[in-house]
Amino acid sequence: MLLTSVIIILREVLEAALLLSILLAMSRFLNLRVRWFWASLAMGVAGSILYGANLVAISNAFDGVGQELLNAGLQIAIYLLLLLIAALLIANRRRGAYKVPLLQGAMLLAVALAVLREGSEIYIYLMAFRHQPDLLPGVMAGALLGAGIGFSVGALFYYLLRGLPQQYTLLTACVLLTLVAGGMTLQAAQLLIQADWLPAQPPLWDSSVLVAEHSVVGQLLYALVGYEATPTLVEFLVYIASVSVMVLLLGWMRYASSKKNSPVA
Amino acid sequence: MARIARPLLRGVLCAALLVQVALIARADRPVVELEIRNHLFHPSELVVPANVKVKLIVYNRDPTPEEFESYELNREKVIMGGQKAVIFIGPLAPGEYPFFGEFNPKTAQGKVIAQ
Repeated sequence: MLLTSVIIILREVLEAALLLSILLAMSRFLNLRVRWFWASLAMGVAGSILYGANLVAISNAFDGVGQELLNAGLQIAIYLLLLLIAALLIANRRRGAYKVPLLQGAMLLAVALAVLREGSEIYIYLMAFRHQPDLLPGVMAGALLGAGIGFSVGALFYYLLRGLPQQYTLLTACVLLTLVAGGMTLQAAQLLIQADWLPAQPPLWDSSVLVAEHSVVGQLLYALVGYEATPTLVEFLVYIASVSVMVLLLGWMRYASSKKNSPVA
Repeated sequence: MARIARPLLRGVLCAALLVQVALIARADRPVVELEIRNHLFHPSELVVPANVKVKLIVYNRDPTPEEFESYELNREKVIMGGQKAVIFIGPLAPGEYPFFGEFNPKTAQGKVIAQ
């Protein structure tokens, strides 16, 4: 039981912890307040419990694919928020304080949604053991261990970003956020295929020989970039499109803000 | 008025027809059923037709939740105790595709055999 719960909790915590650590590091980098982070954790946990407690109704909605649609919706929302956050990070870095409340609100919401999505599964898993007191100690120990490892990896990313030379911090954060955002849309596409809302196709390739999805590296890559060993054409196109949109927007933001910043000749 | 109304009506009718076709196509999917009892899948080997999309219905007869998961099928879905879940899989090339219950991976193991 112990190992199972370590793996389940770790998988769920890792994704949210990575996003949280990147946004926290960037808040510190721009000298923004980081108190939003407590609010977003609280909102995420409350949302997880609400989601978990209503999963039966959610699952049965839309001919039995409500769970997929809601999760895909959450992931698309996180993608859009990351687009906004990264663009505002560039604007703030290059021309001073710019729409800071909007940036902080977007960060709060993005982390809250990520915690909600991952936390609901942890809640459902742990709640199943409330009637099995003999198993509870092992499960809880495993859960704490898994959460500990997950947050440690998050902390590693935080200090990595904080430790970088200043001129590379923003670029690195934008690259990481773009990869996370692309992973979100990839997972959303996969859920919509599972729900039969997007066409299912044979996989384009199979890279599980190189990196298996259930391996440690595979799991880390999944949490960070939504790694998928056997993507279909639709998933591949969705990923390329969402990453391209983000790269183009961020490139344009950088160009526009540097033009405004330069002294008038 | 009629000049605008007629193409508009035609458009609406075409759209309605398309939705109808899509719904018929969706209803046509072969249905395969799977049960979870005592953290075991029944049957543990599930034969499905190859190269078509299949509607898999998983009944969780246990009081505890389970998560149907498969790396090979790219599927992942939580099923609460006493509930059922609809999961569309395929079209699959002939072969074997293992799946497991993430909450009880030691016992809940099975595979889809597409042929």
